[in-house]
Amino acid sequence: MKYIPTIGIECHVQLATKTKLFSEVDNDARNKEPNSCVSPVDYALPGMLPRLNGEAIKFAILAGKAMNCKINNYSRFDRKHYFYPDSPKGYQITQFYHPIIGEGYVELPSGRRIRIEHAHLEGDAGKLTHFDNYSLVDLNRVDTPLIEIVSMPDIHSAKDAHDYCKELWRLMIFAGVSYGDLYNGNMRFDVNTSIAPEGSDQLGTRTEVKNLNSFRSVERAIEYEIARQTKVLESGEKVKQETRGWNDATGKTTAQRSKEEAKDYRYMPEPDLPPVNLTDESIKKEAEKLPLMPHDYREKFGDIIASDILEILLDYPELTKKINEVEQKYVKNISNLFTSVLLAEEKSAEYLNDLPSAKQLSDLAEMNEKKELSSTGTKEVFLKMFDPQMKGRDAKTIAKELGVIQENDLGALEQIVDTVLAKPETKKAQEDFRNGEEKVIGFLVGQVMKESHGKANPSAVQQILRQKLA
Amino acid sequence: MDIKREDILHLADLSDFSLSDTEIDSLGGDLKEIIKYISQLEELDTDNIEPTYQVFEMENVWREDEIKPQDATRDELLALTKEEKDHQIKVPKVL
Repeated sequence: MKYIPTIGIECHVQLATKTKLFSEVDNDARNKEPNSCVSPVDYALPGMLPRLNGEAIKFAILAGKAMNCKINNYSRFDRKHYFYPDSPKGYQITQFYHPIIGEGYVELPSGRRIRIEHAHLEGDAGKLTHFDNYSLVDLNRVDTPLIEIVSMPDIHSAKDAHDYCKELWRLMIFAGVSYGDLYNGNMRFDVNTSIAPEGSDQLGTRTEVKNLNSFRSVERAIEYEIARQTKVLESGEKVKQETRGWNDATGKTTAQRSKEEAKDYRYMPEPDLPPVNLTDESIKKEAEKLPLMPHDYREKFGDIIASDILEILLDYPELTKKINEVEQKYVKNISNLFTSVLLAEEKSAEYLNDLPSAKQLSDLAEMNEKKELSSTGTKEVFLKMFDPQMKGRDAKTIAKELGVIQENDLGALEQIVDTVLAKPETKKAQEDFRNGEEKVIGFLVGQVMKESHGKANPSAVQQILRQKLA
Repeated sequence: MDIKREDILHLADLSDFSLSDTEIDSLGGDLKEIIKYISQLEELDTDNIEPTYQVFEMENVWREDEIKPQDATRDELLALTKEEKDHQIKVPKVL
């Protein structure tokens, strides 16, 4: 029997605000000592009151707009109760009844749309590290602002799940609301997977795999779950509704100890935080700050840049924005430099924050297209633009300094060709060529290039040689 | 409404309380009385009345996104915990 998978994804995005959601301490705990970014509020000392970070509201509006979502005028916070050492309060402050972000959709590169059910603001939990017979708690991450994005069960393949997560990541970094650093857990995915016989109008029993932190692990965990559930059903058994853990090393999901009791979070309104009531104008004012999104760039550059190159660029907002600044006729040329030269560099991550100006790049592309620079020369000049010694200089100055400007002056080239043809060691090759040995032209071009110290334009040289040897 | 023993154990679990057998027995009776008392509210007609979430009727109270020095240091906060290790709070193993 053929089974159709149905997948829904919850994604937690850490917002890149300066301070936490409810306290005025540093929200960026990367490379910081444990428990060094913790206030008495995060520590949940008696009498401490949360104070809402207005910037998180603004970020939520941008994030929502990036996902084509309705922004709700009215939203407020609730307490979700549970006891676990990662939360000193004994509850998480979240938005259960009235989330700030309503329905919307995310469009995948393939054009398929995945609907968003809603997204809400909430505080993150602390970090636990487990040892043999104890655990250690670091509260730096407590109440880092998160938005939890809940998709509709619109995804039907592991590949689409991968693409959806990746597109969400791009939307968040293009909107500028998250660092999107997956390695540091800035985005985490919970994946619900079920399968049902083709044509069935009912969904199967789902399993949930929590806390996946890469697109690849989302894809692999779903592939595994689909295969596992298919096997279970085909052997006549039933899929158990449970939470399963993903092991990246073994490539398998395993049942986690299920709680005997159904979850009972006893949600209640958070009395310490007044509701948020946004006017249409204030939402509009924030939403207008949303920069161009990946789909805008796809529309704009789809006919100019090959889609595989464009999709690579869209993983780097800095590169995409720069491409948007250069003269349109050089867009393709510079896109290729970015993807095939810059990103191949070991230091590319550093370079991204300090790209050459659009003018420098356009000049470089112009020189390349006029054949003043060979492709190797173009690459050399381009990389020199990141050299602290050369930075800021225009393409022509750098090219001159490197001595890579190609000789296109036909008169000058002809002289060099004549010199080479006059050399006794080329006589045999000339004869061979005249006798129809086409491939020796390469040898002769090489000799001319050598004579010109690599500055001649090879295609022009070949043209002259062919005329002379005709 | 009768409160079953398992309901009390469930509530105790949710509240992270441990109860002795005598406490469980006496709580059953107490809770029944408490619920009966609170249930008087059900006599009121609350149709078409907005729930009250807070009594100050404030809205849109938020602060600037600026880091401020804190009143308590890390050491002071960690000193409040039962046990500390490597600047972290040490707790019995959980998973």
